[in-house]
Amino acid sequence: MHAAKNPFVLHEKHAPFSRLRSVPVRKENMMQDEPKKTLLHGWHTAHGANMADFGRYNMPLWYPAGAKQEHLAVLTAAGMFDTSHMAAVLVSGPQSFELLQRCFTRDLNACSGRGKSALTPGNCTYGAFLDENGFVIDDAIVYQLADQSYMVIVNAGMGGPIARHLEAQAGEQAPRILDLSDRLGKFDLQGPRAAAILMRVLENPGKVLDSMRYFTFKGCMDPNARISDAVRMSDSAPVLISRTGYTGEFGFEIFLELEHFIQTWERVLEAGKDFGLLPCGLAARDSLRTGAVLPLSHQDIGRWPFINHPWEFALPFVSRGAGFSKAFIGDQALLNIRSPEYTHAFVGHDLRKVSAHDPAAVLDAGGKKIGEVLTCVTDMGIGRCEDHIYSIASPDKPENFQPKGLSCGFVKTAIRLSPGQTVTLKDNRRKIEVVIVENIRPDRTARMPIHQMMDAGR
Amino acid sequence: MKEIDDLTIPDLRFAQDHEWAKLEDGRVRVGISDYAQDQLGDVVYVELPQAGETFEQGAVFGTVESVKAVSELYMPVGGRILAVNEKLEGAPELVNTDPYGDGWMIVVEPADLRQLDALMNSAQYLAVLKG
Repeated sequence: MHAAKNPFVLHEKHAPFSRLRSVPVRKENMMQDEPKKTLLHGWHTAHGANMADFGRYNMPLWYPAGAKQEHLAVLTAAGMFDTSHMAAVLVSGPQSFELLQRCFTRDLNACSGRGKSALTPGNCTYGAFLDENGFVIDDAIVYQLADQSYMVIVNAGMGGPIARHLEAQAGEQAPRILDLSDRLGKFDLQGPRAAAILMRVLENPGKVLDSMRYFTFKGCMDPNARISDAVRMSDSAPVLISRTGYTGEFGFEIFLELEHFIQTWERVLEAGKDFGLLPCGLAARDSLRTGAVLPLSHQDIGRWPFINHPWEFALPFVSRGAGFSKAFIGDQALLNIRSPEYTHAFVGHDLRKVSAHDPAAVLDAGGKKIGEVLTCVTDMGIGRCEDHIYSIASPDKPENFQPKGLSCGFVKTAIRLSPGQTVTLKDNRRKIEVVIVENIRPDRTARMPIHQMMDAGR
Repeated sequence: MKEIDDLTIPDLRFAQDHEWAKLEDGRVRVGISDYAQDQLGDVVYVELPQAGETFEQGAVFGTVESVKAVSELYMPVGGRILAVNEKLEGAPELVNTDPYGDGWMIVVEPADLRQLDALMNSAQYLAVLKG
């Protein structure tokens, strides 16, 4: 997410078909640019992963099963992602609530659940940290651990910048701000079988998972946490288990101390084998999140105002266009934009893509350029059948439906487009026609009642 | 990712952009190397020219599309397209599973066979991959 153009570098160092370059690299630069490794790096390479640099970490793009099978596994069974390149920042002590309320786009007094109640311990919420211009510094999920105690999960490499931003905003009575980058293990278990798999590896799984709602969490990584709150793996490793994820599918993000990380990763993978659980890389993560209409920070949201996009639920609107329910950094800039731009999701008619980093332009019916392409990938789990889009997981999919894949992603345009409108995307190679939509991959499972998902494993 | 030693590099000619070229009765069959397919990952779509079209050496004759990226295919030798692999339309994964066999892409009537001799042999190509 920090590689400004293409985070997957296929077009640079590893590019087949781009002319091989022999640019001498100075050694001191190499040392400086040496990518970081997560604790699972050795596991990834030993299991045949294709690796690439992402957010200054050397991460798996896909394993031998391939990005397509990994993507489909998350829709139909389950997939597991090493996400310990993401960073956690702990904010605790007096003024923690006030600091986050001023810096984060969600109103912590009115963001939790459908009824928009206050965030309470055990709940988490998605939003963004903005600067005074209303531009995105990074997006985040804020977990309330206890009264005046929060864990903020940001993107790879952003622990430091967000911690410094919070410190700068905190003033004299600063809460304790602790950047836990590279000090926490995290993996995501995503897909309809995720609960069934966890039931095999958690201590007291029924108690832990029972009635666990979307965007809630239980447990704590800290082995000294109060016993009544503890969630443990069956080998007693303490974990924080969160019913969230970045795929649009049912599942969990699991946080734990580094010392338990590799063994827990391996135990969960083993436990899920006969459910079809696959380790998954960043390529599947990117295509899954795009199909779920979730933004990639610094690509779909970034150095421009955080408004007029599919993620306005992350802003504290009283009602649409009627101002905000709280004051926060960037709020005035968002309400006083002179030349607005609009971010829209789109879906294509077949799987062919344009390359967003070419860059690719958005053209209106008259061929006039009206914007740019932010993301364009193929969701291999969906396809069209008589002008209706089905997913491989759609309960009402036609008999013998085999998804051929559809291109999809996000565009940013100078004019507001409407769902159903057709635009043309053009890169250096081709033009494709796509339709502006509110939703891409249908029948996603992220919000499914957990008891149904637990029953599936019994 | 395959280790260099695990890659299949048959006795063919190779271009800098990882296409292979194989002489068959004065014609040249073209595809992409095992290294290239391994780097691209799952190939989900291959866009090929029409038979009869003519391209210079180094010109783009098509694209190969993985879940993540779209990449150009370059003519290892110039000439006229005699045949394209129609099977790839329904089964693009053949590029991954059999890059030197059923995953072939085009057959070219070469304009100048000396261009073929100027490409790398398998030992030279392996040396390039090893860097």
